[in-house]
Amino acid sequence: MTLAELVQGRRVIISAGSGGVGKTTVAASIALWGALTGRRTVVLTIDPARRLATSLGLATLGSVPHRIAPELLAGQGLAPTGALSAMMLDQKGAWDALVERHAPPDARDRILANPFYQHLSQTFAGSHEYMAIEQLCALVESGEFDLIVVDTPPTRHALDFLEAPRRIGDFLDRKIIKWFVRPYFSAGWSVVLAMNRTAGFVLKRLEQATGISALVEISDFFSSMSGLFENFQTRIARAYEVLRGPETAFVLVTSPEEQVLGDAEYLTSKMAELQMPLAGVVFNRVHPEVRIARRRGAAGDPDVAPDDTAQVEALVARAVGAGDDARALARNFADYQLLARGEWLRIDHFRRGLSRRVPVALVPNFERDVHDLRGLAAMHGALFGAAVA
Amino acid sequence: MGAPLERRLQFVTGKGGVGKTTVAAALALLLARRGKRTLAVEMDAAGRLPALLGGATSRTPQEIRPGLHVLAVDGRTALEEYLGMIIPVKRLLASVFSSRVYQYFVAAAPGLKELMTVGKIWYEATREEAGRPAWDAVVVDAPATGHGLQYLRMPQAAMEAFGAGLVQREARRIVELLRDARTTAVHLVTLAEDMPVTEALEARTEITEKLELPLGYVVVNRFHDRHFAPDALARLGAAVARASGAEHALLESVAARAAEEQGWSDINAEHRARLTAAVGGVVTLPYVFAEEFDVGSVAQLSELLEGAIGGGRAAARRAR
Repeated sequence: MTLAELVQGRRVIISAGSGGVGKTTVAASIALWGALTGRRTVVLTIDPARRLATSLGLATLGSVPHRIAPELLAGQGLAPTGALSAMMLDQKGAWDALVERHAPPDARDRILANPFYQHLSQTFAGSHEYMAIEQLCALVESGEFDLIVVDTPPTRHALDFLEAPRRIGDFLDRKIIKWFVRPYFSAGWSVVLAMNRTAGFVLKRLEQATGISALVEISDFFSSMSGLFENFQTRIARAYEVLRGPETAFVLVTSPEEQVLGDAEYLTSKMAELQMPLAGVVFNRVHPEVRIARRRGAAGDPDVAPDDTAQVEALVARAVGAGDDARALARNFADYQLLARGEWLRIDHFRRGLSRRVPVALVPNFERDVHDLRGLAAMHGALFGAAVA
Repeated sequence: MGAPLERRLQFVTGKGGVGKTTVAAALALLLARRGKRTLAVEMDAAGRLPALLGGATSRTPQEIRPGLHVLAVDGRTALEEYLGMIIPVKRLLASVFSSRVYQYFVAAAPGLKELMTVGKIWYEATREEAGRPAWDAVVVDAPATGHGLQYLRMPQAAMEAFGAGLVQREARRIVELLRDARTTAVHLVTLAEDMPVTEALEARTEITEKLELPLGYVVVNRFHDRHFAPDALARLGAAVARASGAEHALLESVAARAAEEQGWSDINAEHRARLTAAVGGVVTLPYVFAEEFDVGSVAQLSELLEGAIGGGRAAARRAR
């Protein structure tokens, strides 16, 4: 299977991977390709580079899909037979929207002003990921799009995104929340004290050490939110339904640098365990290595070895004249060959851990940053085998 | 106020993907080479810092070469250690740590884990052994998200948010140490590209104005700086057109790699100029070409860092 076939056959493409690998750009490029191949496409992007956002018309955007004007695409020489929309995930805004949608009106303002809520919505591990999944579910249910491409928040590990609903589910476990919702709880740890003298003793020390204000806030927060949590497990189940559905595919975006390239086997088995199998891999910013087949004795074709710097320098010297220029050019070439060789070794190792059915695309390192529609279209050759005219 | 390298507590901050961990490793190596008893701290036990220094992750300070130790600090363990100090009965502690209410408390209390992480680092930075500081230098590789600043924000937030109590008193002491320009430096690592520079400038404003922390070096990492003579490139282009077969393929690649390197060099120069105009001096680390960025590359980077910061001063100090 190719990446083109994969994207054609699915309705939801999730671009996962660690930060700083060009995940947003790849997601936007896949979405543009979807629009060019006739589908109503939306890309849900998170924290896009400003120039990319501007070129997509995202600068003025809230958290609703925004159709990119056909004239804007035409101006870049692109004539989509489908449509391209984009939206930005506003993480804080998405939590606020969730509260506004589901919390009882009288509790709404109290929740939004609660310091614990503000902290939770901004920093709780997994909450950004969870909100991205919430947005995805809303897009799927709207039925307005044939292809939804999701850019995920930068995480240390691709798995963090997949486990977000479960983690938030554990966090909002109703049995535990009940403890915090009891009104007398905020007055102290009296319940715990009565139940278990050992735990009570230590928790009392905890309370002294940390200050009680935090606990009052937590308790107050859960009292206000209790209505919202009633159907939270249902929502989480629904989120997993979408993530595990046959229409959804996870595409790992990674760079060939060793820092971000984990163990493919580990990732593949973990994802299979979570019932969200890895469907495709994009290596971004790959340096090409020049390998020239030796054809000894071939008439008129001198034997050249790309890895023999002296030979390369001699060849370049014949072209530009011997001296510093030839030396600098040959040295630069040798350095890039070195870089490329390391990358290919790592890519090769990674691929060996993958199933043959998983398509792999290599996107070369471009001379300049990719930050406009034309640049996104220029990636299509590498991603899908051919650009769409 | 001493030179940033002379300060005992050095945080290395920066966005994910800028090479923050490699710079932290190079810095720790440089300090150890200068004869300082150095502790390199990672705030993520799955990080690469110890590996880049030739060691393995450890939850207690572990010497990996003479004068250089590594340590992984995480909030949950730090909190347990801290509670161990205020509640000295082991059996009580064990039963609390395993209770779900406690687990929940740790997950839910705003910023408690972050606070405990910084607290543990503070503890190491101020700890004394035989009447003198245990470490001459503590180098911290901050987490990648949000430039790692959410951790540095936390002691201040805790000081304001938590009611009177042990934690508030400790938070105050931590804030005082972090803000002291004689002991602390917060370095900021970035790439000389559009978004990274913009984000670095935002982070710098937050460090100096909002958090009021002493800024150390602004480090421009992976800087491409090769320019080729235009007439040589023109002659190369003409030769590519003339050549055939393997020679053509090779010359074409030589030209393509030159164009790629020059393209990035131009981008880097433009954005470093923008950064320099805003912050004054920056420390530039060149792009290191390597098949695999390993312990040897870190040593190389560490020497480049020494040169970029001011090799002259360092040499003078060694002579004394």
